Amino acid sequence: MSREKTEFAEFFQASWEPCLRAVVASTGSVQLAEDQVAEAFARAWLSWRKVRRHPAPRAWVVRTALNVGASWWRRRLRELPLLGHDAEDLRDEALHDEDGGLDAALLTALRHLPDRQREVIALRVFLDLDIDTISAQLGIAPGTVRAHLSRGVTTLRHDLSLTQAMEADR
Amino acid sequence: MNDNDELSDSDVLTAVHDSISGVPMPAAPRLEAITARARARRFRRLGGLSVAAAGACAALVVGLAGGAPAARPAIQAAPSPPHHASGVHLVAFTVAAGPDGTTTLTLYPGQVADPNAVRQALAEHGIPALVTAGEFCRTAVQPAPGVGDVVTLSGPGQIQIPASGQPTGRPGPIVIYGSRIPSGVELSIGYRQNSQENEISFSLIVANAPLTCTSIPDSGPHGND
Repeated sequence: MSREKTEFAEFFQASWEPCLRAVVASTGSVQLAEDQVAEAFARAWLSWRKVRRHPAPRAWVVRTALNVGASWWRRRLRELPLLGHDAEDLRDEALHDEDGGLDAALLTALRHLPDRQREVIALRVFLDLDIDTISAQLGIAPGTVRAHLSRGVTTLRHDLSLTQAMEADR
Repeated sequence: MNDNDELSDSDVLTAVHDSISGVPMPAAPRLEAITARARARRFRRLGGLSVAAAGACAALVVGLAGGAPAARPAIQAAPSPPHHASGVHLVAFTVAAGPDGTTTLTLYPGQVADPNAVRQALAEHGIPALVTAGEFCRTAVQPAPGVGDVVTLSGPGQIQIPASGQPTGRPGPIVIYGSRIPSGVELSIGYRQNSQENEISFSLIVANAPLTCTSIPDSGPHGND
């Protein structure tokens, strides 16, 4: 195995799961995320000389996976305009608790955040990136990253508190 | 945690983290599945291939993955450019093993070579390269030996690249002495291809060092066709 392939193999093995979890958090579907992340790693291998120099290679993979997903959804939704489907119908049920518990509610709330807020939270939580790195990765100002993070967390806090209150009343 | 005030930002983010962490994730696929997917994507992106060339692409997958030079098939797609007995021909470029351990890279004007395909083809010949199209990258330090010791532009006039400065004339095939590239050093190849010109620039760069990329090859050896 060549040096660069060995290097990529190590990166791939160490990064697969955190990248997958970040994308699952954004897509709400393990199946879709798995395919998107696999495609993103394939593209990372094609561009490995550049990706290996990237300040946050895992973030590159996640961003690529999410872009792949956006294209996939656009195609999918164009194909099904008259069938009464929407994006929610196409998601798998892997993340839903049978009793609709806290995790399911939180993940649903996460999925309903605007894309940018969800993306910032995914990079912050699952890749443990700081504000400046997220800023550089997304090409937006650090203050804007903080604003997206704050708004997203505020929304999630509200939903989380409601869910906790409902569970307490059961 | 009975009201909003008791949930800090950290609490919320931790809850998000835990909500996904509890979900079993599929194991990573085999690395070969990822690299095969990459190969398939690369060949999908190679536009302009004729139907006759499609079969050649299938053979190329084997050739690139095979490793041993002897296993590399001679692949050629119409229209017919120069043929190399042990080379890989991808329409817009060829990479072929030459005598004395050299490798010959040829870029064809009027067609745009996929830089990733060029890079991987060179890697198969043991040449660590950063290949870019439309931009020219270098590191702050250009390590020894001089790029003129590693790359020679052959063809009409047998142009020899000087240690620095711009060669004149029409560059033909590019001969690369891969064995002269020290460990920790890579060859940066930047090119711009269109119907009128074929501009290419080379530099030696330090592996993993920060890159400066520009749309203009500002200095160092490069050729204009």
